[in-house]
Amino acid sequence: MPRISDAAAPRHLRTALKASTFRCMGTVISLTLPSGRAAKGTALEGHSTEGHLAEDELAATAAVVERLFRELDQTFSLYRPDSEASRLARGEITLRGASDAMRERYAEALEWRLRTEGAFTPERADGVLDLSGLIKGHAIREAGTSLLALGREDWCLNAGGDVLVSGSPVPGTGQPWQAGIVDPADRHTLLAGYPLGNGRRRRRALATSGSAERGDHIWSPAGAAPAFVQVSVAAADIVTADVLATAIIAGGLPMLDRATDGWDVDVLAVRADGTLLATPGFRGQGITAIAV
Amino acid sequence: MKARGAVSAALASAGILLAGWQAGAQVVETSSAVAASAGTTGTGTGTTGAAGTGSAGTGASGAAGSASSSGAAASSGASGSSGAAAASATYKGALVQTRFGAVQVQITVSAGKVTDVTALQLTDDDRKSVQISNRAAPLLRSEVLEAQSADVQTIGGATVTSDAYLSSLQAALDAANL
Repeated sequence: MPRISDAAAPRHLRTALKASTFRCMGTVISLTLPSGRAAKGTALEGHSTEGHLAEDELAATAAVVERLFRELDQTFSLYRPDSEASRLARGEITLRGASDAMRERYAEALEWRLRTEGAFTPERADGVLDLSGLIKGHAIREAGTSLLALGREDWCLNAGGDVLVSGSPVPGTGQPWQAGIVDPADRHTLLAGYPLGNGRRRRRALATSGSAERGDHIWSPAGAAPAFVQVSVAAADIVTADVLATAIIAGGLPMLDRATDGWDVDVLAVRADGTLLATPGFRGQGITAIAV
Repeated sequence: MKARGAVSAALASAGILLAGWQAGAQVVETSSAVAASAGTTGTGTGTTGAAGTGSAGTGASGAAGSASSSGAAASSGASGSSGAAAASATYKGALVQTRFGAVQVQITVSAGKVTDVTALQLTDDDRKSVQISNRAAPLLRSEVLEAQSADVQTIGGATVTSDAYLSSLQAALDAANL
């Protein structure tokens, strides 16, 4: 496993980060905040307790995020027999009698099914309503809203490889959060990088779907081998990124083109043979398509 | 003949590709016109105008020599000698009018395969460069935005289960920041 360090960064750009993690929705959620350095405040710098202060803040902030994820999981998890989603799946209740929260997500999922021409669908092959393709993204979105409401401007939220950020790892600098995208063939290697942030022409969200791991919410025509083993979508918001990544895995190249034509997104798709398709935003040097 | 046909078809395909990028839905008429010309010249190459896949011209065999040609029509094609060794050659496509302005592409053919597509002319009315497309195109791994583990703050990947997380790069990052 590679050693993680920030020694290579210029001194003034070095990141001092604090992370907090918890398990939920079958994965691990990480909240990362800059620590120990006040954005503009000079008063704080004299305090020797600033590291502890950040840690307390981190714990309190992470608790808000965790509670939000747990509440959504209790309603929407199909792995919990007592959840509303499970009762719905067993036919004990109908959508008509479901909670507003359930019906709102169902409506949102149906809208995405329309917009992706069926590539994204909230129904499993056996007809059971399954909103898990939407709920994680929804939870990240809601958590992000809460973090901003709490006055946190600089943070990075990672839920099982789907990322939403705000601000910068070095507050006040505009330096983006650098996301690395794993190579599906070797999950200890990075395939590419992508800068995330609020700045001009930056996107805040990056979601990745795969056809191998946990393909339980991705459907494709029976017997058809997926065109892509992994699809990453960067967008302004996490639900769009997440839904489109899922839809492209299910819908292949036609859906990929629909996504890039119809939404302001960047896409990096890994084909079964390991080769890549990417929008200009994922290109390193020598960008051929010039931005206006 | 075969190579010539392939080149013509590839040029036409590249034209369709760019025209499609450039003009979106409006280009349907334009591209079908180009496709029609491809149909008359691209004989027996097995190449179809697979816009967006970048697979144009893969059916060609026997590269043309060092020929380079330019013309007003996609069918102007190559004038190279077919017996030459597998040197690469470049070919210019037709100037295609789109609603954003004129577009012209050049392809490089090496050993019977299209190895590069370059935009020769991409302008709009303001003489500014325009973003021709945000479509995904083939990209070599060496061409992506690079990332070193030491330089990233977060890891994106297909849903990592709780168990898989333990051995993941994200876990390493989190551990470093705990």
